[in-house]
Amino acid sequence: MKTVVQAALVIVVLSAIGFLLGPWQTDIYRKLLLWIALALSYNFLFGVAGQVAFSHFTFYGIGAYAIVILVTQVGMPLPLAALAGVALCVVLALAVAIPATRLDGFYLALATLALAQLFIVFLNEGGAVTGGTGGLASYRLPDIAGVTLSGPRYTVVIVLLTTLTWGVISRLDRSWFGRACRAIRDNPQAAAAMGIDVARTRVIAFTLTSVLAGIAGMVYAFVDNTVNPPIFGLENAFLLLFMVIIGGSGSQFGAVIGATVLYLLPFVLAPLIGHHHALVFGVVMLAVILVQPRGLVGLVKSRPGAGQ
Amino acid sequence: MLIRKLTAATLTAGLVLTSAAPVATAQTQGPIRIGVITDRVGPAKPYAEPVTLGAAFAAREINAKGGVLGRQIELQIEDDQGRPDISATMARKLVDAGAVMIISLSLSTATQQAQTVSLETKTPHYTPSNSGDTLTTQIANPWFWQTGPLGSTQVATLLSYARTRNLKRVALITETSGLGQMTARSFRDALQRNQIEVVAEEVVPSGATTAEPQMQKIRAANPEALFMAGVVTPENVLMLRAYRQLGLKMPILASYNMSVPVYSSVAKGLLDGIAFVDAFDPARPEARRFVEAFRKDQGSDPYNLHGYGYDGIYLVADAIRRAGSTDKEKIRDAMQSTRGFVGVMGSQGSSYGFAEGRRTGFDANGMVVRLYEQDQQGRVVHTGAR
Repeated sequence: MKTVVQAALVIVVLSAIGFLLGPWQTDIYRKLLLWIALALSYNFLFGVAGQVAFSHFTFYGIGAYAIVILVTQVGMPLPLAALAGVALCVVLALAVAIPATRLDGFYLALATLALAQLFIVFLNEGGAVTGGTGGLASYRLPDIAGVTLSGPRYTVVIVLLTTLTWGVISRLDRSWFGRACRAIRDNPQAAAAMGIDVARTRVIAFTLTSVLAGIAGMVYAFVDNTVNPPIFGLENAFLLLFMVIIGGSGSQFGAVIGATVLYLLPFVLAPLIGHHHALVFGVVMLAVILVQPRGLVGLVKSRPGAGQ
Repeated sequence: MLIRKLTAATLTAGLVLTSAAPVATAQTQGPIRIGVITDRVGPAKPYAEPVTLGAAFAAREINAKGGVLGRQIELQIEDDQGRPDISATMARKLVDAGAVMIISLSLSTATQQAQTVSLETKTPHYTPSNSGDTLTTQIANPWFWQTGPLGSTQVATLLSYARTRNLKRVALITETSGLGQMTARSFRDALQRNQIEVVAEEVVPSGATTAEPQMQKIRAANPEALFMAGVVTPENVLMLRAYRQLGLKMPILASYNMSVPVYSSVAKGLLDGIAFVDAFDPARPEARRFVEAFRKDQGSDPYNLHGYGYDGIYLVADAIRRAGSTDKEKIRDAMQSTRGFVGVMGSQGSSYGFAEGRRTGFDANGMVVRLYEQDQQGRVVHTGAR
């Protein structure tokens, strides 16, 4: 009960912020919350389950494109389109994850890297369906039960997404499944000896986190009401990885810190030092890896795994 | 415990965001603020930076002559890192800061995403450099204009030149970037429409160390000319090196990418005789005056990209002057009624203007084909797309 009240309080506070901010700050706030949601699910895949995959941002894109295409071109009602989008993410994630269980470490990274590149090629060559290099635009979120979700109301939707992602990941992490993922990450042979189905656990972790990324993508699609290939490119996939590493791999709180610091860094530094913020990014990255391998969360926590 | 920490963290982030809130300034007195979205660290940086420099130079020139409506022009330049989502964020920042016009100089997709903001906030928005064909058609945005020469105009101009050479059998080469592939596809379609047979089509993969295998296949097909659609400089240089090493003699007709003067230094000794499409005619009187003034101010020669930014600011200043105020609606009407505006870009006699119902303003016959002579961009050998 206490947890529910606390969660409701977080949602109210985060939503209230959305009502207080001006248009520019709201835009930053919404996109920051989406980055946090992505970092949380990717942290589980990379930091907890130990899978080095570069397809997380691809599933973000699949979710975004899927809902736009299904609503605007196929004419599906929004709830049905959302369900179909989730189903698509599940199918694609399984298609990648099942053969990928034969792969590990470096090879899984390469396989998912190939998927990410293939997705961009598909978007660029998708003709009228994907809009090609220009992407899709000129659409809007359909009214839901007669309610238009725009402005601060849509910020509430993003807040709900982020807090639900936190909740789901938190539950997973503390469950037997989370412990199984950590055991596999640390020593797959020992985990198998303990009776954990390594392949199945890996597939479930990959699929679940990919679906969470896909749902975040569906919400992103209606932030600027346009989707295009550069958004879902490899550059952002690597930025997501850096967010998790800098924040503190394996820590949910670290994922929030990493996403917040790296997303806001250019906005804060650019007015002060211009485009040299890119240099600061590199220096921060190196400093964290060399000085505090547990990430920024390691600076505020004294024991490993605390805050999970 | 954790939720408390999450609350604290998000509240802190909220405070940071709130404290960074800019104060929107009224645009009835003081300088006229024009917002510029450029790319200073991302993939469009090599193109966006010279355009931005040209824009800043134009603003200084206008201010030195007394400004517009008796007020100085102030450019607020924001970096979108070549990321479309950040471009929209920056557009909102500029609107909040009181910009009466947003000028986008970043990627075409970034400009498109920023358009969602200009449409929503009813803020005049303009790109003097993007060439994407669908920028004014994909979003029905009456607040947006484009004067960068369209990709289709570039292809049509090069094909018009090809027709004067009476070419029947040609080869096509490109590289693996998205834009390179798209350019090759535009070339292929246009060649087919003009009944010119593509006898060989080759792609140099990203990261290749030589283009000799591709050039050998092209040599075997014996084309009358070679169309180069690549837009990535290292791969284009490999193509040119292989072309020279194999002693090929057929003429090269290159995309707009070859108009960027970086090739004069990175492809030294490989450029003579290459025909390329450009929007800059150095013999045009306005262009000559611009080159002279820029050289005096900056100590270096400008090139076509600087010209886009320069023309962009002058065109916007002209619209504000004709609007007689900084009211956004009046500026929009003045922009749309722009006709016969003569800038430094385009072929001799060409001008910018927005025909009724259209928001693309570069003259369809305003591009030229130029030749590389002694590794330098040389004379104009063809004008227009007719």
